Amino acid sequence: MAEPILKVEHVSKVFGGLTAVNDVSFEMNAGEILGLIGPNGAGKTTLFNVISGYYRPTRGKVWFQGRNISHKPPYYLAGQGIGRTFQVVKPFAGLSVLENITIASFLKHPRRAAAEAHAWKVLEFTGLADRAQIPAASLTLAGRKRLEIGKALALEPSFLLLDEVVAGLNPTETDRTIELIRKLRDNGITILIVEHIMRVIMGISDRLVVLNFGQMIAQGGPAEVAGNPAVIQAYLGEEHE
Amino acid sequence: MTPISKDRRLIISVVVFAAAVLLPAVVHDTFWLRVATEAIMWVGLALGFDVIAGYTGYLNFGHQAFFGIGCYATALLMMRAHWPFFLALAAGGVVGAVSALIIGIPTLRLRGAYFAIATWAVARAVQQGALMAGFTGGPDGMRTSEYLNPHFFYYVMLGVVGLTFFVLWFLLERAPFGLKLKAVREDQESAKALGLNPTHLKIKAFILSAIPTALCGGVFAYWVTFIDPNSTLGDLLSDQALVMVIFGGMGTLIGPVVGAVIIFGFKTVFWAYLSAYEVLYLIILGALIAASVIFLPDGVLGISFRRRSGRAKQEPTQPAAAASGKEA
Repeated sequence: MAEPILKVEHVSKVFGGLTAVNDVSFEMNAGEILGLIGPNGAGKTTLFNVISGYYRPTRGKVWFQGRNISHKPPYYLAGQGIGRTFQVVKPFAGLSVLENITIASFLKHPRRAAAEAHAWKVLEFTGLADRAQIPAASLTLAGRKRLEIGKALALEPSFLLLDEVVAGLNPTETDRTIELIRKLRDNGITILIVEHIMRVIMGISDRLVVLNFGQMIAQGGPAEVAGNPAVIQAYLGEEHE
Repeated sequence: MTPISKDRRLIISVVVFAAAVLLPAVVHDTFWLRVATEAIMWVGLALGFDVIAGYTGYLNFGHQAFFGIGCYATALLMMRAHWPFFLALAAGGVVGAVSALIIGIPTLRLRGAYFAIATWAVARAVQQGALMAGFTGGPDGMRTSEYLNPHFFYYVMLGVVGLTFFVLWFLLERAPFGLKLKAVREDQESAKALGLNPTHLKIKAFILSAIPTALCGGVFAYWVTFIDPNSTLGDLLSDQALVMVIFGGMGTLIGPVVGAVIIFGFKTVFWAYLSAYEVLYLIILGALIAASVIFLPDGVLGISFRRRSGRAKQEPTQPAAAASGKEA
């Protein structure tokens, strides 16, 4: 693995007087799952939005497959192979589940029939095929989170950003989603995942990056990070033990 | 909505179009032929309105600007430059498209009510411009050459609107474009993540909305032989198109056709036979609209769909809901 697929280089994002992300740098290798964790308000979603093109970094650069993508719009990045989900799910509520996925499939399959055929495959893969014709608005939360992943997958991305796709699901649904994420990685997709549930993120990630108040306070393997005093302090406070 | 029911709707549309082609063979009365011509014109205006309102989720209260621009462009080219009618008409369509580009780039950044206000203001400015400019004849309006052939205008109007319907049907119901527009309508941010450029799509939709509207204007200018800023650039045009689209069913192509025919038919019958109760017309129309917004969120068309596919009441098709929600 000569070149990292994603390189975040001294990225900062400032909103007015608030520094949401402060000088964060890390790299990702193709095929790995990197977990991004941190307490509420640590800047995880902001960093996600910078990488996926929704925000421009105030300082620093983001490189994807050797190209500087810091100032590219999201729709361009989607074409480059970056798929993302939203923490607050964004289904096209008035359209059917099939139409939702078909729209995403247009990126690689410009013809309607081909896009629809591809959408069916994605629906099978994500276990939504039986609900293809119902409006996205009437899906359960678990279904909507699945649809969110399905839309990102239909882009046939090489890199996937998953923002809290497990939060709010019951244990069975959680296990099914974890299984799905593993399957994606086995298909060669590199995954950056934000998640609050420690059981999930510790189990699934190859490496972790920990943010606190916009700063990266640790990175490394799950066990290593879990034992890091700075991380324990960020999560549990000063007086631990 | 399965492809089969879509095909059935296309077949129905073709049959209706064929019936419209044969109409003058049955209707010999010039008055009714004029009524039919204007009804078809309203179908065209409602269709154009629905491209941007129903499919894309932007209520354009300046729709009349495109109609008036088409009117004046065609009339000016015919009267001042002595172009033949069809060439002037085509040029009117092009001018409409270019104005949509110019008006759309700044206004389509706005959302909901702000877009409605901005487009309304732009249309007002266009009307004011037509009132003040010398070459338009100002408030006195201008005459176009007289060609009193009701059949000619009936078929030209039918040709323009029929072509519009089938082109829109292909682009919005068959090609990916329609689904992409709906994605932008439902959630612009999410659409971006899927590789769609909302700005480009909205501008294309705006142009697609403007062209048939300007063409209807061009035919209208030649047909009525006299145009002025009030009749061709007034707010009433957008209001009526909106009412027709909401009444028929937003975000569909058959909805505006049904809405335009029913509303215009109602208006004509009322004015023809009950003109003594003129005041009642607006009251009844208003009540009808209020009732249709409350009880028929999917328009008249929604009734038949709901019955046929057994769709539950709690899942209204989104266009009306989305548009009104955004406006709030």
